[in-house]
Amino acid sequence: MTEEKRDMDLEGLFRNKLEENEMEAGADLSGRVMRRLERKEFLRFNTSRFNIFYAAAAAAVITIAGLLVFPSPGDEESPLPAVREPQQTEQAVTHEKKVEGAIEQAVTVTPSLKETDTSGDKPVTQPAAITSRQNETLKPVAAGSESSVTREVRKGEPTTVRSLQRVVIETSASSGCVPLTVRFSYPAAGTMKADWSFGDGGISDENAPDYIYDLPGTYIVTLTLTDAEGNKSSAATRIDVWPGPKAEFEITKNKLAEEGEELLFNNLSTGGVRYLWSFGDGTTSDESDPQHIYQSYGRYDVRLTVYSEQGCADSVTITDIFTDKGMFLRFPTAFLPNTGGPTGGYYSRRTDEANQVFHPVASGVASYNLKIYNKVGLLVFESSDIEMGWDGYYKGQLCPPGVYVWKVRGAYRNGQAIVMAGDVTLISY
Amino acid sequence: MSDQHIIEGCISHNRKAQQLLWKQYSGYLLGVCMRYATDRPEAEDMLQEAFLRIYFNLGEYSGTGSFKGWLRKVTVNTAITYYHRNLRHKHHVDIDEYVTAETGTAGFEEDFYSAEDLYRVLNELSPGYRMVFNLYTVEGYKHQEIAEMLGIDVNTSKSQYSRARAILRKKLEELAKMKEKYT
Repeated sequence: MTEEKRDMDLEGLFRNKLEENEMEAGADLSGRVMRRLERKEFLRFNTSRFNIFYAAAAAAVITIAGLLVFPSPGDEESPLPAVREPQQTEQAVTHEKKVEGAIEQAVTVTPSLKETDTSGDKPVTQPAAITSRQNETLKPVAAGSESSVTREVRKGEPTTVRSLQRVVIETSASSGCVPLTVRFSYPAAGTMKADWSFGDGGISDENAPDYIYDLPGTYIVTLTLTDAEGNKSSAATRIDVWPGPKAEFEITKNKLAEEGEELLFNNLSTGGVRYLWSFGDGTTSDESDPQHIYQSYGRYDVRLTVYSEQGCADSVTITDIFTDKGMFLRFPTAFLPNTGGPTGGYYSRRTDEANQVFHPVASGVASYNLKIYNKVGLLVFESSDIEMGWDGYYKGQLCPPGVYVWKVRGAYRNGQAIVMAGDVTLISY
Repeated sequence: MSDQHIIEGCISHNRKAQQLLWKQYSGYLLGVCMRYATDRPEAEDMLQEAFLRIYFNLGEYSGTGSFKGWLRKVTVNTAITYYHRNLRHKHHVDIDEYVTAETGTAGFEEDFYSAEDLYRVLNELSPGYRMVFNLYTVEGYKHQEIAEMLGIDVNTSKSQYSRARAILRKKLEELAKMKEKYT
């Protein structure tokens, strides 16, 4: 696998370069800080010593320490499990070599034939030369070891033998990605009886069989031809079936991702050395596990194509990701205000488990205005902030239990207007 | 001296521990401040403030998480306070910087840009954009959290972020062209 990951996205660049970056603070800055610190500490120290002597009088002063309040980064929504589509696999045989009737396969001649056939014929085949013509990935086939020779040598009939010596297997491909379909043939097909053995147990007596290899491996195919007089001659060829990669991936943070937020594409493919991602918004990446940001909601189809070392490809597509979470606005019909005092009305799914705030469940709302009236039509609450619900208080006083009427006006992100009304029951313990 | 010793020393007002705290972390924290500032003097101001906050609140550090992370958090919070305070004096320049985001997809070669380059392009951003970009990208906060911290709308955070991103990308690309010309 080639790991070239020096090109990174903008976020990665800033994060990697600056997150841990240190700068020289400089002597005068150090001096200034230390002086300020001393001064401040002196004042504080005095306060506390003062405090020791005049404890009662200075009790209030001691609390001057400004407490820091840290916003907690805790409101993390747990990402839903990534949606995974049923494998939508497509095979792309990329390296198919069309060898149109040209591959001259080794006419294998048994040693015994050579010995008996003394007519001075040149050896007909040069196995090494032939293999080099097929494909660079083919290793030279050792002639004789893999070629089965079934020819029956008939002494005393040299002419017949010679006419059968050139047996040629024609293949539509000598190598390719699994599953590989190969069409086998031989010149002047039909003039003799053919027997094919495909190297994986499969046989055929057709003149031009199509054969599918669905397991990767190297197969030696033999053809035995028998003429009308019963003379047999045979040839062999080699078929390489490369393993195919398997494309698979998942997306983290699919459902809850927000616009502009980074999605991580987790590559689960096997057998790949190169990857090509297409994010469906016109952008691509060749990283193994890319990150991507969609600028807006949509229905994006993400396609991952995986290439093996030999160029076999597989791809898988996850459709309709990063869609809008939907647009809706729903209100509960009752709530239980906090009787201990107003809560302010800000809520989050986490904090308002007790249902103390009347607020909607919403998605895709762009603008919003909520008005709540009591029975006599007095406006008791109004909010234009969807994050701000009603805590049940009006002017600091808890409203009496009962039914209140609400009205909402606003618009969804796509411009669709929202006009809703309903009632809510304020419940009291 | 370990972090633990430094912390204890500072709490008991040990001068040496103070200096060690500064020596050990001022460089790192200045690097943080530089991301949030318009220029170096502003970053130094921020750092002074952050350091005083850190020093007088060391007792708050629980000792469980990373000390460095805690220091960074206090510093980032100081930067946020700084930002809020300055908002009242300066007015927003965000609108001028609005660019139609023509976001390219080309990656950035890490070694091509120095930290100084990145600080420079960050410093040139308007404070709001810089704030959101930093908090989101480097600090890793979510838009919802950023919105709460800065007192802005979530959508504002998102749109500022994507604009900041577009501006930065443009600036980095310009910078790359310039660099290629002169090297």
